[in-house]
Amino acid sequence: MKIKKQPLENIIWIERDKLKPNNYNPNKVAPPEMKLLKISILEDGWTQPIVINSDYSIVDGFHRWTCSADKKILEMTDGKVPVVMLREVDSNHKKMSTIRHNRARGTHAVLEMSNIVSDMVKEGLDGDEIMKRLQMEKEEVVRLLARNGIPKSDVFKDSEFSKAWNPA
Amino acid sequence: MSTQKIRTKEYLETNCYEESIKRTEYIFKQFDHVCVSFSGGKDSTAVLNIALEVARKQNKLPLHVLFFDEECIHPPTIEYVERIRQSPEINMDWYCLPFRHRNASSNEEPFWYTWDPDKKDLWVRDLPNDAITEHKMFRKEMAFQDFTQYIFPRSLGNVCCLTGIRTEESLRRYQVIARKKNDHFMNSHFEGASSTKRAFPIYDWDSKDVWIAVKKFGWDYNRTYDIYNQTRLYNRFLTQRVCPPFGEEPLRGLWIYSECFPELWHKMLNRVKGVNTAWRYANTELYSHADKKPEHLTYKQYLNILLDGWSDDYKNKVSDTINRYMRFHKKESKQPIPESQEHPVSGVSYKFLCKVAQRGDFKGRQKNILRRNATNTREKLKITQQEAKLLYS
Repeated sequence: MKIKKQPLENIIWIERDKLKPNNYNPNKVAPPEMKLLKISILEDGWTQPIVINSDYSIVDGFHRWTCSADKKILEMTDGKVPVVMLREVDSNHKKMSTIRHNRARGTHAVLEMSNIVSDMVKEGLDGDEIMKRLQMEKEEVVRLLARNGIPKSDVFKDSEFSKAWNPA
Repeated sequence: MSTQKIRTKEYLETNCYEESIKRTEYIFKQFDHVCVSFSGGKDSTAVLNIALEVARKQNKLPLHVLFFDEECIHPPTIEYVERIRQSPEINMDWYCLPFRHRNASSNEEPFWYTWDPDKKDLWVRDLPNDAITEHKMFRKEMAFQDFTQYIFPRSLGNVCCLTGIRTEESLRRYQVIARKKNDHFMNSHFEGASSTKRAFPIYDWDSKDVWIAVKKFGWDYNRTYDIYNQTRLYNRFLTQRVCPPFGEEPLRGLWIYSECFPELWHKMLNRVKGVNTAWRYANTELYSHADKKPEHLTYKQYLNILLDGWSDDYKNKVSDTINRYMRFHKKESKQPIPESQEHPVSGVSYKFLCKVAQRGDFKGRQKNILRRNATNTREKLKITQQEAKLLYS
């Protein structure tokens, strides 16, 4: 079977501490997206293996690996992380593998994002929950919805009365 | 068209470098005190070095330099300013004051304060050594323009402050220079301070001239530009700007911070609201192009949704501005405000008001656009101003 030759055929679970970062990764993930990654693993579980070289250095998944140090994530799998190992290749090939894994992905088109988030609201999610689970700023939720004609006051409701007052 | 006549250019035999030296020599002779307003940007570099050259010749060293540190600035800019400060020929005042700046990334927090004393834990950098953090006339609500009149004590006599404004950068700047025949490179007033003038000795340089000078004379410069040239801003001199990052225009360049200065960027994400959102969407319909409304809404409806997005304090301000434009329209015409095509007399439309509501228009600059709007519509309708007034008032 051809499938047998694919790295994914051999996903193994190993101790996270056995892996090590490579020394060239140009990918920088900002703190909000790191938090989102943690939430993703906690809500959906491990869905993708970390890709490593034969020397256990990470090709792709450095930030998932970093997240795996989180206590809650660690406990999910008793300190183990899923990995697939690439065959032995030269150092240029290793670097190229990393770049390809990082760059071969799309970006979200804004109007489609606006539609998705509007649909979520129409189906009853409130703004705060969207903010929390997608790690979006309020600004982002408000602007995405406004673009679809949903005013901010429909989604983020003031629940407190204003202060009463007497003439001074 | 504007009624003010725009003067054209008369080219001289000399080059812009020679002329700027002459202008600066003249200024040093005319004024009791000359200083350079320095930003760390490339235009500042030119002004600073020209002023140094003249001050050396006229025995007026050390040169007084003002630097207003806007906190959120590229690391190589800070290093450059620090190198300049260390020069024995220079006497620098390094201000770190909580000036108010626009934060166009957020409708909830549309302004932010550099070096805000209430947000020390969020500052993106440590306070530089020997920074001036207090001034007896300074109050936190002040914008830079409100404060400048207090910088120079009376005892200095007549002061001239040299700045690196160049006419290539915008028509507004061109008009500042071109409206006067004599001493055209000087401004007659310095935001309220009668004994202080501003001068623009390099007004006729273009960006390329600055880099020619840097190369020719070996001037030190801000290495941020080297980094810009490694990005897709390569050789795009006019977009290579060194300025606070959260304003309307600079917002479109937030990617430069995230790509080139990730450590600073990660701190910027917490510094003011909306930054992450603006980073993703600054160049999309969420921040600009309000003239492309959602299909299922009218501009009139979209206007209300855009207004609703502002936090309460600012909703009133932006609504006031919108109301002012509406009253202006009413004064000019009895007709209702049109949806998208700007009115041929007032220049107002709901589409225009949407643009105002999206951006806030805190500087009131959109007002200048109205007249142009009206002219454009009249040209489309092929009618004169008089005919428009008869037909559409």
